[in-house]
Amino acid sequence: MDHRLKNEKKVDHFDMEILVGYILLAGVLISAALLTIGLIWHWAIWGNLRFEHSIVGMNFFEFILSTLHQVFSHATRPRFILNMGIGVLMLTPFVRVLASVFYFALKERNWKYTLFTGFVFCVLAYSLFLR
Amino acid sequence: MSFHLLFLISIVAGFVGAMSGMGGGIILIPALTFFGMDIKHAIAVSIVSVIATSSGSASAYVRDRITNLKVGMFLEMFTIVGALAGAAITLISGRKFLFILFGIVLLSSWVALFRQRHESWRQAVHQDSFSHWLELEGKYYDESVGKMIEYRGSRAYLGGPLMLGAGLVAGLLGIGAGALKVLIHDLVMGLPPKVSTTTSNLIIGVTALAGTSVYLAAGMIDPGLAAPIILGVVLGATLGTRLLVRLTNQLVRRFFLLVLLILGIEMILRGIWGT
Repeated sequence: MDHRLKNEKKVDHFDMEILVGYILLAGVLISAALLTIGLIWHWAIWGNLRFEHSIVGMNFFEFILSTLHQVFSHATRPRFILNMGIGVLMLTPFVRVLASVFYFALKERNWKYTLFTGFVFCVLAYSLFLR
Repeated sequence: MSFHLLFLISIVAGFVGAMSGMGGGIILIPALTFFGMDIKHAIAVSIVSVIATSSGSASAYVRDRITNLKVGMFLEMFTIVGALAGAAITLISGRKFLFILFGIVLLSSWVALFRQRHESWRQAVHQDSFSHWLELEGKYYDESVGKMIEYRGSRAYLGGPLMLGAGLVAGLLGIGAGALKVLIHDLVMGLPPKVSTTTSNLIIGVTALAGTSVYLAAGMIDPGLAAPIILGVVLGATLGTRLLVRLTNQLVRRFFLLVLLILGIEMILRGIWGT
């Protein structure tokens, strides 16, 4: 909210550029913070930055679910943070597209672009469910 | 490969990727495979980092109001479909093919950019009715010349389908394919160079996400490996973005020409002779 108020002063109104710009910025910053914390935590526990695991094939939502399950196991907490970092990163463009759909539909009432961004959203949602 | 090496390569890749609007992958993949990573895994990990590069630098460009959001959102419809198909093809194709294709894409971008090198951008005289219907007009403030530049995007009927191909290449090779997108914006749709690089940056994010979900589903994305790469790329891209807004078009272009040429030749040779 703070950001939004500040920028309303700067450019006089809240618009698509501000919305999209800050979603992207927030997504990347949160993701980078999680990845940094995950790496430092791992280093603090193990004294190295070697991760010897690779994930099995799963779609995005299974990936998030299996990550959340790991919260309950102490040994894998740094890995959980890393996975969340990747998850947030993947959600960033997805949320940006979703916000654009709403912005075009509710604020601009531009049905052409609501339809276009809606299509992009559906294809992305489908791809996240891929298995 | 050590953490420090991964991190260093990624910073350089992010820096060059952001300055060029090509995405970090174009440097990252040749470098990772050079140090022994399997090309398919390099492609998969690269495309995740491309989401970060693209989103990070796009956020700055969008707020600077250089990016044309409508052009971006129209063209995204085509690139994401292409990216899904491309990533699926990579999973089943051979490694030599990927090396050679990577080289060919680099060199063809080079040829197209080279032939264009003396022409600077001119306003499209005529905007076709389809592009007008899509509302592809725009204006931005250009810092290097110190004035507002107005433009009208045109030939969207051609740009859209061509973007399907750019998306295919992006998903296939794990790169932003920004060079191809910029070409389509520049040559087909008549957008000013800065608008085309920054708009391509925005499109690259969703395109890379489509590709990433295919590679994630195939179990090819390792968060422990991806983390240092993403962080390095974001750091490099942050520096690169700061520089782009200040540089003139010609200088940026000449630098890409050199990078594209060297990497293109290198990848093709490795594809032919094996790694």
